[in-house]
Amino acid sequence: MDASPRPLRVILSSILAFVVAACSGAATDPTVSPSPSPAPSATPAVSPATGPTASPAPAFPVTIVDDEGTSVDIPCEPRRIVSLTPATTEILFAIGAGDRVVATTDFDDYPPEAVELPDVASFTSVDVEQIVGLEADLVIAGGNNFNDPEAIARLRSLGVPVVVTYAADVEGVLRDIELVGSSVGRRDQARDLVASMRAGFDQVARATRDRERPRVFYELDATSEIYTAADDSFIEEMIDLAGGDPITTGSTTSFSISLERLIDADPELILLGDAAYGVTPDQVAQRSGWAVMTAVHDGRIEPVDDVVITRPGPRLVEGLRQLAGAIHPDVDLPSPVPVP
Amino acid sequence: MIGDSRDSPLVRLDGISVRYGDRRVLDSVDLSIARGERIALIGPNGAGKSTLLRVASGLLRPTIGRADLDGSSVETLERIEIARRLAVVPQQATLPFATRVEEVVALGRLPHEHPLRGPRASDRAAIAAAIERVGVGHLLGRDARELSLGERQLVLIALAVAQATPLLVLDEPTVHLDLRHQVGTMELLVDLNERDGTTILAVLHDLGLAAHFFPRLVLLDAGRVVADGPPHEVLGPDRIREVFGVDPALVRLRD
Amino acid sequence: MATRGESLGATQLALARTGALRGRPLLVVGGGLVALALALVLGVGFGSVAIEPADTVAILAQRLLGLDLGREWTAATETIVMDLRLPRVLTAMVVGLGLAVAGATFQGLLRNPLADPYVLGTASGAALGAAIAVLIPVRAVFLEFGLLHGFAFVGALVSVYTVYRLSRSSGLAPLTSLLLTGYAVGSLLAAGLAMAMYLSGAALRQIFSYLLGSFDAASWVRLGGALPIVLGASLAILLRARALNGLLLGEETAANLGVDVSRERAILLALASLATAAAVAISGLIGFVGLVVPHVVRLVVGPSARLVLPVSALGGAALLAYADLAARMLGEIPVGVVTAVIGAPFFLLLLRRARAGYEL
Repeated sequence: MDASPRPLRVILSSILAFVVAACSGAATDPTVSPSPSPAPSATPAVSPATGPTASPAPAFPVTIVDDEGTSVDIPCEPRRIVSLTPATTEILFAIGAGDRVVATTDFDDYPPEAVELPDVASFTSVDVEQIVGLEADLVIAGGNNFNDPEAIARLRSLGVPVVVTYAADVEGVLRDIELVGSSVGRRDQARDLVASMRAGFDQVARATRDRERPRVFYELDATSEIYTAADDSFIEEMIDLAGGDPITTGSTTSFSISLERLIDADPELILLGDAAYGVTPDQVAQRSGWAVMTAVHDGRIEPVDDVVITRPGPRLVEGLRQLAGAIHPDVDLPSPVPVP
Repeated sequence: MIGDSRDSPLVRLDGISVRYGDRRVLDSVDLSIARGERIALIGPNGAGKSTLLRVASGLLRPTIGRADLDGSSVETLERIEIARRLAVVPQQATLPFATRVEEVVALGRLPHEHPLRGPRASDRAAIAAAIERVGVGHLLGRDARELSLGERQLVLIALAVAQATPLLVLDEPTVHLDLRHQVGTMELLVDLNERDGTTILAVLHDLGLAAHFFPRLVLLDAGRVVADGPPHEVLGPDRIREVFGVDPALVRLRD
Repeated sequence: MATRGESLGATQLALARTGALRGRPLLVVGGGLVALALALVLGVGFGSVAIEPADTVAILAQRLLGLDLGREWTAATETIVMDLRLPRVLTAMVVGLGLAVAGATFQGLLRNPLADPYVLGTASGAALGAAIAVLIPVRAVFLEFGLLHGFAFVGALVSVYTVYRLSRSSGLAPLTSLLLTGYAVGSLLAAGLAMAMYLSGAALRQIFSYLLGSFDAASWVRLGGALPIVLGASLAILLRARALNGLLLGEETAANLGVDVSRERAILLALASLATAAAVAISGLIGFVGLVVPHVVRLVVGPSARLVLPVSALGGAALLAYADLAARMLGEIPVGVVTAVIGAPFFLLLLRRARAGYEL
């Protein structure tokens, strides 16, 4: 009777020992319990006694299904994370994994600690060699060709886990925050962040609910052609949530709109997403043919911070509040729910 | 039957007719060339002289008739086998790259050289011999594209000589040459024929050169062989008037 | 005229003398191999991560030759050297080899010093294939070859085949017909490419980086797929060097010298296109290598294909390996830009020196 379970336990403990040894980069002590219970959680901060979501299930090893449907195996808690999108960097810092980020892109700008990190990617390319040289154990990249898909494939072929995120709408952003959280062993913190963001969204929705929705034109760029929100796009949804009636291009794939169509749509409010590039309300008012628009006539041309409005990260609530504030200046939004 | 008897003709054309649609370029041409002969093919423009050469070298298949080269039908021979029996002096050919005179002459050994390793010692000897024989040794190392027309012509003849075939064919080799080079080329051909026994078949437009340097003339007109024999027989004044349409006094023949 | 005074021996001596440099292929080949070896070492030694040269050598010695030089290195360093840099440098060499050999072949085949591997529509066909692959929202990967590589390869071959078949129905001389048809088909495909790029949206960058050519995505698997095709086709062309030489004075002369012209033309075209298609499938469209290398080689070894082909192979491999190194050192500029910067001035020089003696 005693003899039969013993080989099973020996086998299991050997497997566990192997798993723990493979994650030897982790700063945890490799205690191996002889009982066939799961390996101890590698996250030191979570103790089963505290927190509303005390989950006894181990965080690692885990298989993440990323936004492209790829199953990514992450054997142990990542200690050397590379973020290839600015939004991911913000998420990582917001959920308390910022100290484990070893490299970002050269166009990351928030938070300030992230800017100083080594750059391993630019708009056009990803430096696979440097990522390997940094011994990254997790890379989080942007889908829809944000990062070079060939580089992502290359990293995966070299054994580096790469999780690809892509959020087409606000709900997608919230999912991505949880996805990132699960990937780095900060699932609970991610869930908390998402909850507070939802609260922020709801707050704005409630405040602007019964108000008239002005026609809003969100300008992405107007140096040659006029670029604005496409149909079913992220920006369209944000404006809608902020209590506006967004003017779109009429196509789901094209971001350009003709001046004719814009004049015909007659915006009541023009938001300058390209304000950071030096576009001012005065310049807009002087554009030939634009004077006929209600927005120009009423002087309702507002610069906005494009980054917080469009970046699919933790500051999206701030962006939504900014939009709501521009669209409904008279609305009183109580102070925001604290975001980490 | 692949005969190599000294009695059988080197080239035999039997009843060759070439038709393009309704046009008869060659009509029932019979021609027999024995080893060691020196023949000039003459006739007005459009008579079919170049076409006849093409049929003899297998580049053109006749509509009717049969062409034999050294006892074998041209149709049954591989191109490389034909190239070992018959050398055609290239006409004004352009070179896309800088090519030295000796490299041009070396092309003549293509049918003989090893397919992979290229020219053997025997090939190199043949090239040197051809250069020497034709007398272009002073042009060695020069870019063939920079030669004068006369010099280029000699180099091309050297190429054909290097090919070391029993039959040498030329299509209007003197067209762009001045008188001195024309005569020089003719003298070379006579020399190759008399000293080395090379059979020569040349298309010429200059009746005077043809009559003086070639013991046998074949006169083509409108695709038919009108006359075949020694110059004084072939180029009688009536014939000249009839075939060429000019005053026979214009053609000076030397006996 | 006939210099009968010269003895045969003197002529042979003169021949040997003037052929002095050209008759030393061993020296040239040796030089090419040294250049290649140097390119390999430099290429593997340089990258965005600083690795001590001694470590690089030690890793190579251990993995390739089984020698233990008593040094230690991290797994990451070994991955960088063996899985990133080494296949990259070797890929650049294989692609350079294929393009140079194909370029030399097309130049000889078409008797045109301005010909390059792309002259018969291969580039446009490959680019359009790649663009279509990028647009299709299907992700199919076999080994490490995606839709892009497959479509580019097929696109290159299909366009050459189309050009070949169309050109045969023209009444013009075969070479002229090939070139003109190649131009026409190439333009049509380029229009298709422009349309595809217009519709591509976010994927435009992918298409564009393919057009510029790069070795960023080089890997052992991809090299393993392309290498047999490139080397096999190049070797097969080399075995037909005699036919290529015969074509120097034109197709009729070639026939008179024993070359089966139409058959050789088809075979050489197919082989050179295969090598080109395999090269562009894994590296995109890199220009000037196929055009420039054969000409430089001819200046040194003469026009005989038996020398031009292998030496061009070496030269192309070395050139592209060095170009890729330069591209990386100058900050990740596309390798096609480097080859253009080297090649375009040379091309202009070529035009100035070109004689009226070539057919078009």
